[in-house]
Amino acid sequence: MTNDSPLKAILVVLTAALVCSIVVSVAAVSLRPYQLAHQIFNQAQHIVKLAGLMPTNADALSKKDLMDIFLQLDARVIDIDAGKFEKNLNPVTFDQRKAAVDPERSVTIPTEHDVARLGRRSRFATAYLVWDGGQLKRIILPIHGQGMWSTIYGYIALQADLNTIAAVTFYEQGETPGLGTQIQLPDWQSKWQGRQLWDGTGALRFRIATGRVAPESAAARYEVDALSGATVTADGVTNLVHYWFGEHGFQPFLTHLRETPPIRANN
Amino acid sequence: MTMRDVLFDPLLNKNPITFQVLGICSALAITNSLLSALVMGLSVTAVLAFSNMSISLIRHHLPASVRIIVQITIIASAVIIVDQLLKAFLPETARILSVYVGLIVTNCIVLGRAETFAMQNPVGRSVLDGIGNGLGFGMILIIVATIRELFGNGSLMGVSILPLVSNDGWYVPNEMLLLPPSAFFIIGFLVWVIRSWKPEQVEPADYPPIPNRATEAE
Repeated sequence: MTNDSPLKAILVVLTAALVCSIVVSVAAVSLRPYQLAHQIFNQAQHIVKLAGLMPTNADALSKKDLMDIFLQLDARVIDIDAGKFEKNLNPVTFDQRKAAVDPERSVTIPTEHDVARLGRRSRFATAYLVWDGGQLKRIILPIHGQGMWSTIYGYIALQADLNTIAAVTFYEQGETPGLGTQIQLPDWQSKWQGRQLWDGTGALRFRIATGRVAPESAAARYEVDALSGATVTADGVTNLVHYWFGEHGFQPFLTHLRETPPIRANN
Repeated sequence: MTMRDVLFDPLLNKNPITFQVLGICSALAITNSLLSALVMGLSVTAVLAFSNMSISLIRHHLPASVRIIVQITIIASAVIIVDQLLKAFLPETARILSVYVGLIVTNCIVLGRAETFAMQNPVGRSVLDGIGNGLGFGMILIIVATIRELFGNGSLMGVSILPLVSNDGWYVPNEMLLLPPSAFFIIGFLVWVIRSWKPEQVEPADYPPIPNRATEAE
């Protein structure tokens, strides 16, 4: 068969497609467990850090030890709109991002509430409760929203008063390298520690400031220093905090939590 | 051309970036950190070696009418495999490189080598040509990334070299170096340096230069 015959062309293309697809599928399937393990480990690392349970010799900690700490946390799925714990969903297997694109398990965000420019969100989210004996010490909630170029994903840990920020992390973003990506710097994230979301009148005051926050100013309790060259990203972060702690976000849940404090599960 | 030339020519004399001016997009996008540049250089080298080898293997059976389709299929498969490998074993770097690993498919160097070299040369030479071009590409990425990371962020491979003012050091970083246009300047500078040193790389002008009016008036 000459190279000019149409039959040969079809045969060559089909063979190439078949061989390539087999090679690609084998690679994808065989590497999947490694990728999943990394994702889960990465997530666990962030949560353990936010829970304040990362030992000081974190580098010496083996993967297994870290996963053990993570698995001992009290993870619970919450129904965001009802503001209550949802006991029928398994917090280990629940995937908020998958739920966000599933019409059954997600809701459209009304335009007037959609400050984080998300469009839709999952009806459920996994929260992690950190206990100190029988006392709630911290609660870790997932947050996300639009930055300049990308959706920023993070977690925020609140202290037992459900108002003071204990820690924050942003683990996924695609902002401008060197500018917007500064939101991942531990130094900057540590400035969130001790800041409060609401003031005494119940107004949501937290925001990323437009410059450096003077420590003695009235706003210092609620504001975090700006990031130079990253105004849009910083505004995105302020907006996502405002969305998630607004009435369409976790506010109903936190109100419920204040009225009926959670009880430590026996496990 | 000896095997030696096939491997080493693309490093300087026929460098894909500075001589052929290909693969500029990723050279701009990922050279703000040295680690990304290293991983990108190695990834492109692996893709080039694999695609050149496969295409050279079947070059006598590739009908001219469908050759580009088949070449792209092979290149895309190689890129997916590299992408999956990075995600499995270097997840942090894969996260930073994000879409740019996938975009190796569109890197003109890869299709260019397949079309101009692997289609006409035996397997051994094609693999060497792929490796040589990958290394030539990677070498420029490393030079650009070293300059950008060191002076834009005061660090190399993420290790602080010049302590930044924001961390109570003395170095005020040049933030422009972290933005893609700065890579244009650096690559342009490299092209100028290399062509001054090796004038045979300078292309003949398409049109004769227009004489300067000021000199005409004299």
